[in-house]
Amino acid sequence: MTKAMTRYLIKKLITLIILLFLVSITVFSVLFVLPGDPAQIILGINATPETLANLRAELGLDKSFWLQYTEWIGNTLTGRGSWSINYDMPVYDLIISSLAVTGPLALLAIFVAVIISVPLGIYAARHQNRPGDVGVMFFTQLGLATPEFWLGILLILLLSVHWGLFSAGSFPGWSVDFWGSVKALLLPALALGVIRASILTRLTRSSMLEVLQEDYIRTARAKGLKERTVLYVHALRNALIPVLTILGLQLGQLIAGAIIIENVYYLPGLGRLVFQAIGQRDLPVVREIVLFMAAAVILVNFFVDLTYASIDPRIRLE
Amino acid sequence: MKKFFFFILALTLMLPAYAALADTPVKGGSLVISKPAEPPGLDPTANTAAAIDRVVWSNLFETLVKVNDKGHFIPGLAEKWDVSPDGKVYTFHLRRGVKFHNGEPFNAQVAKWNLERAVREGTVNPHPEYFRGIAKIDTPDDYTLVTALKEVDALFIAHMAEGDASMLPMKGYEKTKSHPIGTGPFKFLKWVRGDRVEMVRFEDYWNPKLPYLDKVTFRFIPDPSAQIAALKSGDIDVIGRMISPEMAKDLAKDKRFKVLAGSTNSEVIMSTNNKAKPFDNKLVRQAMAYAIDRKMIINLVMFGYAPPIGSHWSPATPYYVDLTGMYPYNPVKAKKLLAKAGYPKGFEAVLKASAKHVYSVRSGEVIADMLSKVGIKLNIEKIEWGQWIERIFKKKEYQLTIIGHSEAWDIGIYANPDYYFQYDSQEFRDVYGKALKAPNEAEKAKWFGRCQEIIAEDAVNGYLFSLPSLPVLKAGVMGWWENYPTIVHDCTQVWWKR
Repeated sequence: MTKAMTRYLIKKLITLIILLFLVSITVFSVLFVLPGDPAQIILGINATPETLANLRAELGLDKSFWLQYTEWIGNTLTGRGSWSINYDMPVYDLIISSLAVTGPLALLAIFVAVIISVPLGIYAARHQNRPGDVGVMFFTQLGLATPEFWLGILLILLLSVHWGLFSAGSFPGWSVDFWGSVKALLLPALALGVIRASILTRLTRSSMLEVLQEDYIRTARAKGLKERTVLYVHALRNALIPVLTILGLQLGQLIAGAIIIENVYYLPGLGRLVFQAIGQRDLPVVREIVLFMAAAVILVNFFVDLTYASIDPRIRLE
Repeated sequence: MKKFFFFILALTLMLPAYAALADTPVKGGSLVISKPAEPPGLDPTANTAAAIDRVVWSNLFETLVKVNDKGHFIPGLAEKWDVSPDGKVYTFHLRRGVKFHNGEPFNAQVAKWNLERAVREGTVNPHPEYFRGIAKIDTPDDYTLVTALKEVDALFIAHMAEGDASMLPMKGYEKTKSHPIGTGPFKFLKWVRGDRVEMVRFEDYWNPKLPYLDKVTFRFIPDPSAQIAALKSGDIDVIGRMISPEMAKDLAKDKRFKVLAGSTNSEVIMSTNNKAKPFDNKLVRQAMAYAIDRKMIINLVMFGYAPPIGSHWSPATPYYVDLTGMYPYNPVKAKKLLAKAGYPKGFEAVLKASAKHVYSVRSGEVIADMLSKVGIKLNIEKIEWGQWIERIFKKKEYQLTIIGHSEAWDIGIYANPDYYFQYDSQEFRDVYGKALKAPNEAEKAKWFGRCQEIIAEDAVNGYLFSLPSLPVLKAGVMGWWENYPTIVHDCTQVWWKR
C-alpha cells in the first residue's frame, strides 16, 4: 500500500467517524424530543401511572439526556450494543438477520438494473435518434414515472395471484429453503431493479454519447480499430464512471430504503424492521439501524471511490 | 327400476351420515393466519398490546376463566368457581393434571404466585388494579384457590378472563417475552422477528381431544392488499381481521373464501374534549349527536359491515342496552339546539384523526360533511399514533378525535374526570360505583345499563359503531370465531374440512 493510499484511507476513516458521530447525536436528539412515550405505547392507553413509571425506570427512560446518550454510545463502542425493547434480543442480531434479506435483495436489484441498463444504454447511444433509441428512451421515461410499489403490486397480481408462479411475498429463510429464498427475492428485486434501470440506462446513454465525442475516440477509429474495440474497450470504461457513482448511491439507498417494497412483499428486511420500530417506539432499534444505514451509505460510497481508480488510472487517491 | 329406487334410498339414508361426518372435526393440518401488527414481545402480562393477546392468549397461555365465542365466561384452568353469598370470596376449583410446556405442573401455588406477581413491587403488568382488590389468597389444597376480595368487584371474573391474568410457570417465566411457556393447547416453536410466530400442538394438553391442528403460524403483514394477495395466492389461510371492509365484499363473492362479519368489543367513537369550548356545552354535544347519521357513516366507511352503537358499550358485551335511537338523525333539531346554545351560525373546530386507523380518517371526512350541513366547519388533521398518545391522550390538546376503544368493560374510564374525554359527572361515578358492587346478575345489568344511559344522554362522545370482526377464511377452515367478544384468536377448536 502506497503512502498516498494510506493517507487517503486515514482521511476517509476520520470523515466516517465524524459523520457517524453527527448522525448519532442527531438521531438521538430527534428521538428524544419525538412525541410519544415508549412506555405508554407499550402498555397501551389505559395503563396505570404506577406501571408506566416502573416500565420507564426499567427501560432507563427516566435518566437525563446525556446519561442516556453516553450509555448508548458506550454500549455501541464497546460492542455490547443495545437491546430491543419489543423483540427482547440484541439489536445487532436483529440487524444481521434482516440484512440477510435486504443485502441480497439490494445486490440482486442492482444486478437486474445493470444487466438491463448497460446494454440498453450502449445500444441507444449507438443508434442515437433512430427508432431503437427513441423506443428505449420512451420506456425509460415510463420507468422513471412508475412508482416501484405499483410495479411490485402489478407483478404480484400477474405472477402470483393470476398465474400462481410465485408466492405473493414472505421469505422462508436461507437455512430452511435456499432456492425458495432466492425465488422469494426475485419479484421484489425485479420491481426495484427495473425502476432503477431506467435512470441508469439514460445515464449510460448520455455518458456514452459524451465519450464518443472525445478526440481519443476519433483517434482510435482513425487508427483503424474495430468499432467493437472502440466501444467496449475505449469508450465504455470512461463512460462508466458517472454510472458507477449513481450505482453506488443506489446500492446505499437500497440497503437503507427498500421499506415500501419490503412491506408490499412482507419481507423481514431492514426497512420493515426500522419502520415497525418507529411505529412502536422501539428506540434502541431505531437508533442503531439509522446509525448502521448511515455507515452503510458512507462505506458504499467509499468503495465506489476506490473503484474509480481501478477504472480510470488517471484518478489518483491524493 | 327397483334397483334404482334402492340406490336412491341408500343415498338418502347415507346423506345425513355423510353430512355429520363432514362436520365432525378431524385432527391434523396446519394453519397460517395473517395479522397486521407484530406483537411487541410475547408476554401478555407485561403489555396490553392487543397484538400480543391475539397471538398468545388461549393458544400458548391460559387463564383461570376463559371467554367463548359468544362472550360467556367458561371454565379455563379452573373447572368451576363458587362465589360466597356476600360476593367477596371466590373459590376456584382447579383442573387436575395440567402441565406447562416445560413439564412443570400447574396447581394452586402457581396460580397464587401469578396473581401476587401482578401486584408485586416494580410490576409492569399494565393493569395491577385488576388484582389489587384481592385481600388474601389461600390454598387449602393443591387444587383449590380461595381468593378473598377487599370489596365486591362485579368485574373480578371478567378480569380473570383477560390476557393480563395469564398463568405463567414459576420457573422459566423470566424469558416469557421471547420464549413463552404456558399451559395452552399449542407450544411455542419460534419467532422470526419481523415475519412470523410459529407454534405446534402440545401433546400433553389437559384436554387430550384438543387441539385439532398440528401447527399454527401467525404471519405479520401490515399492508391490506398484500394480505389479500397472500390469501389469493395460497400463502395464508386466514386473515384474522380485515382492515379494509371495501375488499370484504369482493372476497365474499369468491367461492374459495368465506367472510364472517361478527361483532367485537371495540367501540369507535368521536372522542370529545368535554372541557374545550364549545364542547363543554351539553347542548352543542347533543346537537352534534342529532347531526350525525350513523347509518350513513357505517355504509360509507365500513361498507355496511358494522353494528351501530348508541353508547360506550358494544352489542358483543353482556348487559348491553341499545341506545342507538336516543338521537335520531335530525339536522333541523341540531340547528335549533345550536342556536339555543348560542351558536346560531355554527362554529369552526378541529378533528384530529389517527392516520394509522383507516376508519378514523374516513369517518372524520364523512362527519365533517354532515356537520357542515348544520353550520359546523370541521378541519381534519391526521396525526401519527405516537403523537396521538402524547398530544391528545396525555396532554388533552384536542377538540375532537376518532378512535376505537378495544378494551372490554372499559366504561369505567368515564368515572375518571382526568381521562382525555375530561368528562366530570358525579352521577355517573355514583352509578358506576354501584355497578361495581352489584352482588348479582340483575343488579349488574341494571347499573351497567344505567351507566350506558347516562353517558348517552350527556352525549359525552359521538358514539358511532362497533368494529366488525371481519375475518376472511379459506372455505375449508372450520371452528373459527365469528364474533370477537374479547381480544383473542383462539385456535383451540379450529380444524380443516377435507
